[in-house]
Amino acid sequence: MKSVFSKVRNTALESTLGRRLWGSVAAIPLMSWLIGALGAFILENLVGYSLALLVGLPGIPAIFGLSHLGALIGALLKGVSGYAEVISSLMLFLGTLVYDLVIYIIPTYILARLSVPLVEKFLSLIPARFYTLLHLAVFYGALHLWSYQDDYRLLVVRFIGIAIMLTVSLNLVNGYMGEFSCAHGGFMAVGAYVSSVIMVWGFVQDDVFGPPVLPPALAPIAFPIVLIIGGLASSLTALAVAIPSFRTRGDYLAIITLAFTFIVKSAIENMEVIGGPRGFMNQPKLAGLPWVFIWTVLCLVVIYNYVNSTYGKATCAVRDNETAAEVMTVDTRRIKVIAFLTSAFWAGVAGGLFAHVVGYINPATFGIMKSAEVLAMLYLGGLNSITGSIVGAVLFQLLSEILRPLKLVKWVVIPILLITVMIFRPMGLMGFREIRPQFLRPKKEVKYAPASD
Amino acid sequence: MTLNEFAQHFLNALQWGSFYALIALGYSMVYGILMLFNFAHGDIFMAGAYIGLFVALALLSISTTGIIALPNWLVFILTLVLAMIFTSFLGMLVERVAYRPLRDAPRASAAITGLMVGIFLETSNLLFLGASRKTFPPLIEKTVYEIGGVTFTNIKIMIVGLSLILMLALHLFVRKTKWGMAMRAMCYDYVVVPLMGVPMNAIASLTFAIGSALAAVAGILFSIAYPVLEPYMGLLIGWKAFVAAILGGRGSIPGAVLGGFLLGFLEIFVAAFFTSTLRDLIAYSIILLILTFKPHGFFGEPYSARLRL
Amino acid sequence: MPLLQIRNLTHFFGGLRAVYNFRTEIEPGELRGLIGPNGAGKTTIFNLVTGIYKPTKGEIIFNGTNLVGLRPNQITALGIGRTFQNLRLWRYLTALDHVKIAFHSKIHYGLTGAFFRTKRCQEEEEEIEEKARELLRMMGIEQYADYVVTGLPYGIQRKVEMARALATEPKLLLLDEPTAGMSPAEMMETMEIIEKIRDELGLAIWLIEHRMKLVMTLCETIQVLDFGEIIAEGPPEEIKSNPRVIKAYLGEEVTV
Repeated sequence: MKSVFSKVRNTALESTLGRRLWGSVAAIPLMSWLIGALGAFILENLVGYSLALLVGLPGIPAIFGLSHLGALIGALLKGVSGYAEVISSLMLFLGTLVYDLVIYIIPTYILARLSVPLVEKFLSLIPARFYTLLHLAVFYGALHLWSYQDDYRLLVVRFIGIAIMLTVSLNLVNGYMGEFSCAHGGFMAVGAYVSSVIMVWGFVQDDVFGPPVLPPALAPIAFPIVLIIGGLASSLTALAVAIPSFRTRGDYLAIITLAFTFIVKSAIENMEVIGGPRGFMNQPKLAGLPWVFIWTVLCLVVIYNYVNSTYGKATCAVRDNETAAEVMTVDTRRIKVIAFLTSAFWAGVAGGLFAHVVGYINPATFGIMKSAEVLAMLYLGGLNSITGSIVGAVLFQLLSEILRPLKLVKWVVIPILLITVMIFRPMGLMGFREIRPQFLRPKKEVKYAPASD
Repeated sequence: MTLNEFAQHFLNALQWGSFYALIALGYSMVYGILMLFNFAHGDIFMAGAYIGLFVALALLSISTTGIIALPNWLVFILTLVLAMIFTSFLGMLVERVAYRPLRDAPRASAAITGLMVGIFLETSNLLFLGASRKTFPPLIEKTVYEIGGVTFTNIKIMIVGLSLILMLALHLFVRKTKWGMAMRAMCYDYVVVPLMGVPMNAIASLTFAIGSALAAVAGILFSIAYPVLEPYMGLLIGWKAFVAAILGGRGSIPGAVLGGFLLGFLEIFVAAFFTSTLRDLIAYSIILLILTFKPHGFFGEPYSARLRL
Repeated sequence: MPLLQIRNLTHFFGGLRAVYNFRTEIEPGELRGLIGPNGAGKTTIFNLVTGIYKPTKGEIIFNGTNLVGLRPNQITALGIGRTFQNLRLWRYLTALDHVKIAFHSKIHYGLTGAFFRTKRCQEEEEEIEEKARELLRMMGIEQYADYVVTGLPYGIQRKVEMARALATEPKLLLLDEPTAGMSPAEMMETMEIIEKIRDELGLAIWLIEHRMKLVMTLCETIQVLDFGEIIAEGPPEEIKSNPRVIKAYLGEEVTV
């Protein structure tokens, strides 16, 4: 296994230096990187805290110390008046740089390089169909080690997982089917509320719902089933959007999805039994990292398989020319229903997970701004690309983390950054391109003919 | 429901309909010509209200310091005119920065930049002016009239009247002038008309200017009716006006007006007949049903007629 | 029994009469032409047959099934494939995808298969891919299989469209101006392909075409349409000399 990634088209990488760097990185198989990361995180477990103190940090940096970068920017923005603050935030930033280098980057790289022959030998002994599973297992191991060192990390990682689910599922409708749905907040709300109500009614002593109906010990076992029920409920409501989509599309459908979001929010606000506008709480916080990880992976796998199957590719045909799709035997109504319902299902599951991470939800959480956030992540990453959605969601969340110390200014900087990305890459960072590890599928590169028109 | 109650609801509906219609016109015109969602439009409404506020305060302070004594009605008219001008510059700026570079990009990308411009405007406002709410000075003294048991205020009549006059003016502009004709032509064919010598960029700027000016009027009238301003005031009303614009049929001026008033009536009368908390639920369920059975709004054409991706 | 039988087919767009009392009978394996000046209603007839429009009046019977009221995907699945006058390709998909998607109605693995990529799904996918490549090979464009169609030369795009139509496994193939915009050399090639399709696959072909050379050489019977009505019908030699046809094409001398 020479290179792990199939060829990536990226103009930035076409310079010689870039290519050489990329070449040395790409020569290391993914598994080695994962093992390297695993090693680095073990190292952090052992000496992280002492090193952090040594370089002048108050404790191990939460998310690679990204927030120190934001703090530095914030201090610089204040200018001369915050002279002392600039110095102290600069020190913290340099400290995290050293920390990241010593704890993460250098050990990961060294270990990754060293483990190449071993990994190659090992992988050659194992049937190829287990590769994905194996990679996921090692990846989870590393993630687990890293996250469980810090409560904040754990929270952020779970939010990232949920963000990925939301973005990928929205991609199915907005990217692969080419509609403009703003209803994802609404779908998420349905899933979150349905699963919360069932869990609280079933397993929790609650003021409104009374004593638990089922033995609370069963809660962790019932949790995935309840999430599925929440997702299915969300799918059911998606029919309200899917049926109008038979006759209209584009802008009119966008309005229908918008109206749907208003309706869901208003409906929840009017249901006193689930707290109305005040919100709903007492959910058992069952959505730990393993569950979020499993659901995220499942979501990715299902949607990836679907859009790469001939059956699911009909969704793209509906997007590019609906009449032609119909004449080529595609049952367009069925395809639309599947896309909307699948998308809503995963939004509902993500909502359910969110509710059981936070332990409290209210209708305002799932308003139009939630939909807008998911849309921003989606278009940042790029349409019609699973990797794009992952990149978009992760990048957006990390960006939020960097800019967190800027407080309000964050919401000035994020729009400017996103507008810049859109202007220079209107298709998003990864629109219509995939990076796929080679072991997933025999490589088949999509080619673009030189533009002739 | 007594006659007076009904009349009050009716007037309120007309008033809200005017707000929605004025904002919806901006959406609709931009849509018709550039075929993109200007998601920042609700925040341009907000900006218009704030610009109006500052212009009014400035004029009032000039007036009170005694440089030139201006009567309140003159201050109001000057505020309106100046705010329209300033806001239209803001609109043109938004078009230049966030939409023009993306004219050949997928429309959804432009929609995202619009969303971002909106967030940018809200947050910058919050950052520079603080979270405290601003109060709009009472430029027009409220008088209550009564005719045959029905009471109404001069403010409501003025709001509705002024809005209708502006809508008529816009209609005449689009129908009778050379620029209006160029705009209609652009609505009809986005690709070919520029080849016929119609200056695309100028028309786009003009469209944004007019739409923003109308939003500014809506913002000021809104602030006179409900004199509390806050940075997020344009968010919900903007989305709702967007619904109104599409409900009428995208890109259609009479459609936007009709959609605006329809939405106003729906919201007010739903709140009147049921409880006000059910307003959104019922009003938007009705809209969803309307669009399910009349998929292209009232004045819209089927999607296939003009498809551009 | 004829493969396709159309009787009294009439269609109005609002007040405009696009097709009036059209009838035809196409036998299996037949190559039939439909010609007429621009706006005569030829493409409308194809759209009526494939279910894109619903006829105002009339019967369309294919293999004993009445097609009126069926949705396009159902009609195609019964065995009528078509191409479009202005290519309707899917701009972000590869040539291979185009052909594969046209097998849609023959996919049995269903949603579970697609979601979880079951063994059955994988087998079927392989089968479809094999068939799709075979069709591309037949059109001579196998080397373009993994190219996104946008940006491929026009002639290749036309062939992709034809391969896609064939993938629906039709008994009757409707070709709407298959050589529009082609050079004479490309036209000759297309003619060969059409004959090859007919001979190798035994399809009935019904084509709309403006190029008389192609129609006159290929078709066994030709119908001429003007203002939605049939003005002439018969073998090529007859059509060539029919005065009404000449009038419809060249117009009439106006006497003041």
